[in-house]
Amino acid sequence: MKPVPWQTGEICGPDSAKSLNKAAQLKRTFTKSKKPLLIVGSDAVNMKHGKGDMIDYAIALSQAGKIPVVATGGTIKAFIEKGFEDGKSMGAMELANYLQDESWLGPHGKGPHDLILIYGIPYYMQWTLLSAAMNFGTHLTKIALGRYYQPHADWSFPNMKEKQWHEVLDEILDLVR
Amino acid sequence: MKKKAHLKADEAKTVFGVFKGLEVRIGQIVDDEWDEPMGPTPMPSPTDLRSWDHKLLSKYKPSYMPYCQVCCLCTFGKCDLSGDKRGACGLDMKGQQARIVLAAANIGNAAHLAHARHLVDHLIDEYGPQTNLIQGPGTEIHAPVSRLATGMRPRTLEDASIILDYCESQLAHTLSAVHTGQEGSWLDFESKVLHVGMIDQISMEIADLVQISTLDFPQADPEAPLVDSGIGMMDTNKAIILTIGHNIVPAASITDYIAEKKLGGQVEVGGMCCTAWDITRRDPSAKVVGPISWQLRYIRSGKADVVVVDEQCVRTDVVNEAQKVKAPVISTSDKAVMGLTDRSDDTIDSIVEDLVSGKLPGVYIHDHHKVGAVATKVALAVMPKRRKMKFFPTKKQIQKMAQDCKKCSECIRSCPNNQPIMEAVLAAQLGNFEPLRDVYRNCIGCARCESACPNGYDLHSWMVVAAEKDCKEEIYKLRTGRGAIQDTEIRSVGQPIVFGEIPGVIAHVGCANYPGGGEDVHDMAEEFAKRRYIIVTSGCAAMSAGIVKDENGQSIYERRGGEFDAGCVINVGSCVSNPHIAGAAIKIAAIFAKRNLRGNYAEIADYIHNRVGAVGISWGAMSQKAASIAAGFWRLGVPVIVGPHGSKYRRMLLGKVEDEQAWTVYDARTGERVVTAPGPEHLFYAAETVAEANVMTAKLCIRPNDTSRGRSIKLSHYIDIHETHYGFFPEDVWKYIRRESDIPITLKEKILVQMKENKWKEKTIPDPTLLKELVMRGGT
Repeated sequence: MKPVPWQTGEICGPDSAKSLNKAAQLKRTFTKSKKPLLIVGSDAVNMKHGKGDMIDYAIALSQAGKIPVVATGGTIKAFIEKGFEDGKSMGAMELANYLQDESWLGPHGKGPHDLILIYGIPYYMQWTLLSAAMNFGTHLTKIALGRYYQPHADWSFPNMKEKQWHEVLDEILDLVR
Repeated sequence: MKKKAHLKADEAKTVFGVFKGLEVRIGQIVDDEWDEPMGPTPMPSPTDLRSWDHKLLSKYKPSYMPYCQVCCLCTFGKCDLSGDKRGACGLDMKGQQARIVLAAANIGNAAHLAHARHLVDHLIDEYGPQTNLIQGPGTEIHAPVSRLATGMRPRTLEDASIILDYCESQLAHTLSAVHTGQEGSWLDFESKVLHVGMIDQISMEIADLVQISTLDFPQADPEAPLVDSGIGMMDTNKAIILTIGHNIVPAASITDYIAEKKLGGQVEVGGMCCTAWDITRRDPSAKVVGPISWQLRYIRSGKADVVVVDEQCVRTDVVNEAQKVKAPVISTSDKAVMGLTDRSDDTIDSIVEDLVSGKLPGVYIHDHHKVGAVATKVALAVMPKRRKMKFFPTKKQIQKMAQDCKKCSECIRSCPNNQPIMEAVLAAQLGNFEPLRDVYRNCIGCARCESACPNGYDLHSWMVVAAEKDCKEEIYKLRTGRGAIQDTEIRSVGQPIVFGEIPGVIAHVGCANYPGGGEDVHDMAEEFAKRRYIIVTSGCAAMSAGIVKDENGQSIYERRGGEFDAGCVINVGSCVSNPHIAGAAIKIAAIFAKRNLRGNYAEIADYIHNRVGAVGISWGAMSQKAASIAAGFWRLGVPVIVGPHGSKYRRMLLGKVEDEQAWTVYDARTGERVVTAPGPEHLFYAAETVAEANVMTAKLCIRPNDTSRGRSIKLSHYIDIHETHYGFFPEDVWKYIRRESDIPITLKEKILVQMKENKWKEKTIPDPTLLKELVMRGGT
């Protein structure tokens, strides 16, 4: 079944993300990508995963795949409190702007990035950020790792059941190791 | 000064008789009493300030986030604009986004301008065209926005009408540019956005000036009255008339009628949205029920015996909602007739009879003289019966109904704030109403959850029932709108603002589409007021700022002064009062720097942009009006921050710190091009969280002209707020240090290390300007 946006009014245009149901679907994308970037928003602090939260997951994903992290909306504080000092902080709107620039070296100066993994920004705001990337940052592959379908990504979970979502997140962690 | 006069009146009573549809055009009037020289751009056309706009837009380039990939505005379409495609008219995606931004700004301005026109025409009818316009004591530079943009100083209602003629012509031009086959460049669409924003500021200034002058509002009064506010404040022992919208005229007819008939002991008048501010400005015994987002909860409570709507931000299903609680509706504006029968020409008693009997759910009355009598008589008549009625279900009934929840999640999916409504309903099944109460606190009152619910649950009502205790305790004291800032106040603070010693002027304005409750507005205002920034409020944001009480039970307005001074919180009034905020910045240029205002827009905007550390925040920005208000501030070079929902305006105006060219100014003393620190870094910015908004606010107050002491103070606040909210010392402080004297003394060690690491070099502190023509004229 074709996935639909989580917020019912957030209908996209002709382009929309492919449904991400298992980690293996991303294998080729991860293999191809040389410089990914993980973007984590403020809702991640309140999203549980395993025995921790989605900040812990971001740290694990970053360390497993050597993926630099940029936190939006002041979420960086949660990373620092967990002892993770390698993250950078930017506004979601600043990111939406810079992601349109093919030559941007990224918050750590290690780009240009060719892949973004993103979650935790309020649904509608992530929707707009990804719209900027979809329409004007065409050099990027965009993977939305939140539970709810983000049509402007290339790959997104299709409003997945929570348990299954956590399982696939763990599979992704294994995939990037 | 020569100006064309053009008067219109639906009906004019003169010594020669009564004229209907009167329209008078007088060739020219000469204003030869004003010796201020005319600047280069009086009453500019959409392209006269294009060069200034392009300076701003090259510094703060639009960053588009298309809300839709197609265009469906003409029958060529729908056109798919994805990728590099162009529509049948030739427009590409960026152009289309800019076009929609312009459409929104036009709509917003149309609302303010039509409001202003109605007020001016009505007041000319009531008081005559030569009625003087008075902003208040100590406001020699009255109507600074109009002076600046039009070169006119509106001294009478007739002058106001002439200025609105200009505004109407400009709106027609900028709106026509949206038509298929007109403007084709995103840059020029954006320039017109700024133009219509400026027109919007003029329209609002005229609207507020004419009502302040004629309707007994506080006039530039720092001690404007404290008024009662909150759902719990409404006295249900009296008949209650609820007024909703923005236009004072029908609401004033109600309070006047009640005063005239001495019915104050029997009838209570409360307002929602900006009408609330304007009725309390006119009659401080009226009450502010709450912001736009509380409409549904209050109507559904059934406490309002009559609902009177005027214009703008009114729930368009108000008649249906009021019918559910058997409250008659009176619509009063030709912009929002709401499908009701026009009874304007009928007798008051016959209208009252039909409303009291329930024969009609509501009526449209455009004759405002009748509204007061009809609303009051109906309220008094229906009140005794209505007080015996119960409109909300009991908790027991809700618990029973909740058993049938289909657990489909549609309520959550339709909620703008993704509130866990379904989980709260499931908790209510078990008799636990706390989760529903929590949802109430963050609810923006849109009721989309109800529309989506397959069981047709009145979910918003359930939330209100769960939060019954909170509603009763919603009792606040707010300072009603004071109007303009006095010149004398500007004289006291102009220098410390321009030098940066008062670190900023922060304006909380706009709607109530908050991501997490209105308390956020209070918290942001308090954070900066305690740091001795000047806090200004207006509109629904001004209400939300007052809904948190301290340990002594006092609101922010009770515990802080209403003067335009450091640490004070100043409510200027309703939406149309926003130009008093812009006007304060404009007056700083006139009073402190002795710059001419008259028709001198670009120079003054350049002054404000480079010197006045002002930031606008519209945390719950929702409407097209909010877009046009923001655009008016952008053209003056004042940055605006919106909440996360503001990202849906689909376009930000963002600087890039590494783009040195963008931060280069002329030193007016030498003509040299000087690279400054990236401040203000952005012109339009949606923040994801309060934390981010606070950090960005402190940062956006930085200006190239700051003195070392001023820069040091601003940086101290930025660093402190950044460390508090982000948990680390900001990495970009060194960029804002021009000389070592800019360094906050207590943080010197840390900053020196950062400067060394980044190979910092001393920079010139210029007399900054973006306008080459101002070089060699010196500056302040």
